[in-house]
Amino acid sequence: MSAWGLGRRTAVRAEPVERAPAVAVSQVSKVYPGGVRALDNVSLTVWPGTFVAVMGPSGSGKSTMMHCAAGLDSPTSGSVRIDGREIAGLDETCRTELRRDRVGFVFQAYNLIPSLTLEDNITLPLRLAGRSPDRQWMHALVERVGISGCLGRRPAELSGGQQQRAAVVRALVAKPAVVFADEPTGALDLHSAHQILQLLRGLVEEFHQTVVMVTHDPAAAAWAHHAVVMADGKVIDALEAPTAARLADRLIALGGR
Amino acid sequence: MLHLALRMAAHRFTALLAVACAVLGGAALLTGTGVLAESGLRSQLPPGRLGGADVVVAADQEFHPSGDLPVALPERATVPADLVGRLTRVKGVTAAVGDIGFPAALIDARGRVLPAEDPRTLGHGWSSTTLLPQPRIEGHPPSARDEVAVPASAGVRMGDRIRVVAGTGEPSSYRVSAVVDAPEAGVYFADGTARRLSGREGTAGGGRGGPREGTVDLIGLRVAPGAGEPVAAAVRDQVAGTGLKVLTGADRGTAVGPGVSAARSLLILLAGSLAGILLMIVGFVTAGALGVSIAGQRRDLALMRAVGATPKQIRRLAACQATVVAVVSAVPGIGLGYLLAGKFAQALVDRAVLPRGLPLTFGPLPALVTLVLMLAVVQVSARGAAWRTSTLPATEAVAESRSEPRAPSRARTLTGLLLIAAATASAVTPLLVRTALGATSTSIAGIMAAIGLALSGPALVKGAGGAVLRRMRPGALAPSWLAVVGMRAYALRFAGVISPPAMGVVFVLTYTFTQTTVLAATQQDIRVGTLAQHTLSAPQLGGLPPDTASAVRRLPGVEAAEPVTTTTAVWQYKEFGETTTESASAMILSPGGAGVYDLDVRDGDLARLKGATVAVSSEAAGSRDAGLGRRVELILGDGARVTARVVAVYARGLGFGPLVLSQDLAAGHTTVPAPQSILVRTDGSAAAEERLAALAGEHPGVVLSDTDPGPGTGQDTPPEVWINLAVIVVLLAYLLLSIANKLVASTVQRRTEIAALRLVGMTPGQVRAMMRREAVAIAATACGAGLVLSVVPLALLGQGFLGHPWPSGPVWLLPVTVLVVTVTAFLTIELPTRKALRTPPAEALRTL
Repeated sequence: MSAWGLGRRTAVRAEPVERAPAVAVSQVSKVYPGGVRALDNVSLTVWPGTFVAVMGPSGSGKSTMMHCAAGLDSPTSGSVRIDGREIAGLDETCRTELRRDRVGFVFQAYNLIPSLTLEDNITLPLRLAGRSPDRQWMHALVERVGISGCLGRRPAELSGGQQQRAAVVRALVAKPAVVFADEPTGALDLHSAHQILQLLRGLVEEFHQTVVMVTHDPAAAAWAHHAVVMADGKVIDALEAPTAARLADRLIALGGR
Repeated sequence: MLHLALRMAAHRFTALLAVACAVLGGAALLTGTGVLAESGLRSQLPPGRLGGADVVVAADQEFHPSGDLPVALPERATVPADLVGRLTRVKGVTAAVGDIGFPAALIDARGRVLPAEDPRTLGHGWSSTTLLPQPRIEGHPPSARDEVAVPASAGVRMGDRIRVVAGTGEPSSYRVSAVVDAPEAGVYFADGTARRLSGREGTAGGGRGGPREGTVDLIGLRVAPGAGEPVAAAVRDQVAGTGLKVLTGADRGTAVGPGVSAARSLLILLAGSLAGILLMIVGFVTAGALGVSIAGQRRDLALMRAVGATPKQIRRLAACQATVVAVVSAVPGIGLGYLLAGKFAQALVDRAVLPRGLPLTFGPLPALVTLVLMLAVVQVSARGAAWRTSTLPATEAVAESRSEPRAPSRARTLTGLLLIAAATASAVTPLLVRTALGATSTSIAGIMAAIGLALSGPALVKGAGGAVLRRMRPGALAPSWLAVVGMRAYALRFAGVISPPAMGVVFVLTYTFTQTTVLAATQQDIRVGTLAQHTLSAPQLGGLPPDTASAVRRLPGVEAAEPVTTTTAVWQYKEFGETTTESASAMILSPGGAGVYDLDVRDGDLARLKGATVAVSSEAAGSRDAGLGRRVELILGDGARVTARVVAVYARGLGFGPLVLSQDLAAGHTTVPAPQSILVRTDGSAAAEERLAALAGEHPGVVLSDTDPGPGTGQDTPPEVWINLAVIVVLLAYLLLSIANKLVASTVQRRTEIAALRLVGMTPGQVRAMMRREAVAIAATACGAGLVLSVVPLALLGQGFLGHPWPSGPVWLLPVTVLVVTVTAFLTIELPTRKALRTPPAEALRTL
């Protein structure tokens, strides 16, 4: 029902005209001081309700791409639109406010605030925005991810899997246009990782959420609808309904270059 | 190990910079104090007017209590005059001179006294010129009774007539027979005249010479070239068993003026009183800086544990690194300390606390002691700071290093609370002991309580944070809410940040107000206890003419006039089964003293101050078993041992000292027999005052002043107070370094937290708002805690000394202290926060 586009390629699926892409990155380059070109004229469109994996070896620019696409960092050139709003040229405060409203994050290191209980952590973005949480939505999410029993606890008292599930709820509680997940399973054991990926895929399917996941793990990327492979700051390949085996082959081929 | 330590040090340069500053400042302060102490023990005046004497025989001007430092005796102790003749016969002696000094003053044509360094001993016999170092003498020795030789600086010529006040008599006219050009030259009379004027010989008319008859101040010997050592040895044999000292070379300086040499002991006193508080604060600041630096390296240390370093190696690494930094920064600090001591001594000289010309001793000892102390502090603090990380299991150490909130331990909280309770209890001392010494327990109690706060702080902060959080409205702004939540959760970190400024507040308040309160109480004692309205004195003459008192008493309107002199007495008494030696200033009072002073006599009567008697303060009477009728053993200012009966016990010991000597007891035991001042009580009429002024006007050099200089003149501010206030400013600056370092470090440590908050949507403005609220909370808690800890000791101090439960002192001190603490907290949090915000949050997280 929705589609994704990549670079010059045409959209693969019929796109609903009334909806804007959740994220539209077009011809973005990022050059760090010292001349390192982390991104080289990258374009990527993510349509609502899709689960996209961005893959690539270390140093391929996938993290930089995510930071630019999510408004954490500003690109050197090119345009980034989140839910239809251009973020290039916005200052840090405006970008933060936009992120707070329209973007959710899940990190490898969870990044829950240790001094806050899970519930306080989950509602923190809304509190910062001065909004009150949609209790029904929050409880639905909490039930769905299975952490309703530990809302009053501090992060240090929970397992990594539980913390990451809380981070997923925090990312979704403000009903964002897109959730970015940066190696969300990198710090988890196989079982927990499986749960998180299943959860992300489930949230996309059931709640019509949009997720962009950066990972170097082909098994994780195989959960996505689509996968983009990056190398040397460029998007070099796109696969639909990828399998772990195909992705692994692709990456090994890259490593052998 | 050293290599590793240095490598790690290079990475943590900024954190170690604070350690370096702490060590540098500490080394400078300790060395400076050390130089003062060493000078107090060893510094010697230049031989000055005795520069021409090869060997000097003089009495020992120090009292040597067993097992304690010698006590300086400021009054000249004499040498038997007949020794001069015996020493003349020693082989190799070319001249032996019995030197006597007595008050003398030259008066110029306009009736003004020519200024002199020490008029109390300006007069000498002509033979003393033999002892001058290469004097240029023009003229002939004074031989007639009205002939005198004057120093070239007087600006008169041979043959001129000049008025001289000799031996505190009436001024009379002398003919200048010679002009003596030599440094520190005095006024020289014919030897016989000098002996009479100084009371060492009866007058021709049959008058008695006084208690010092048949003595000289010292004996100077000139010897044949190269005979110095053998003569000194022979003279030592001659005087063996008399207690006299035989001085040569630089040691001769000690014999020049005992009063001046005794001022050295002030330096020891000063260094002693500074040392305790200084060590405490240097330790606190250095340990604090090291704690911050090692906390910053905790992750590195933990990872080293993980790859196989033993706990001992970790501690050695931390200590090694700290030692390198300490040595590197202690060296310039020690240099700075020597400079500082010089400046400080100069300031003391400028304020007439120290005599001009007393040189400082710049030996290597203070540097060595400082180095050893600083290294000890650094080693202990570094090992202590690394202890926790080093003893944890390797894996836990890595986990722990991610600075999860920790719960404060119960034992720690309890220790802290007990310390605060003990400190508060010890603060009652001023209620019981109303002396300057008793008052010191106030600031000690304050600082002890502040250390208690540092220990129990985390639990208290946690409790307070929880209480605030429960009261907080649900709609409170996110930054405020986060600030309070963080404060409660990171109670340990937060309390660590609060204790240094709280300690600063406690230190400034208790230390300053102790000084000012004791000063106020002392001045109140003196004001209330002084009945006389006027004081006659003659500082430029060295003493008042002996018949001044009776002349004043004859004036109509004068109700009482009594001579008052201050000397020093050493009191040895048993305390807790040990002999304690205390040197204290003692007033010499006549039996009529009650007419000018109301010492608030509780027992006995000042009128009985006749013969070998003393009056003592009630504090001294109580603690030294010296009640009415008891006998006390004293060592007077010239070293004479006397036994005296207590005839009165008075309450105003704070203002008037612990001891009052009778005139009879002190007679002959002071350098100058004449009284220093005469206190005069009139009927208060203007006529009486005019007559008094007229009397003073008739005598050149005699000064009339009011006993109560009025408030605000600051004339009576004793040098100790001034010194202590200077010390507070220096130490506060040093403490601020620690405060700033701690706050900056704790803010820098929170980069991860700030980055995480930004990732979930906190705007930079919100981050700053949160941190500002924390700064306000820190400043407010620190000031509040400091205030609370200071209130009880200061109230007790006020009650004990002033009779009302608040201290005396400058009111502006409190707002200024609060302002300094607040500004420091604000700046040291705001600036690192702004710096942290300049890094994009994702990058900040990645680099950690």
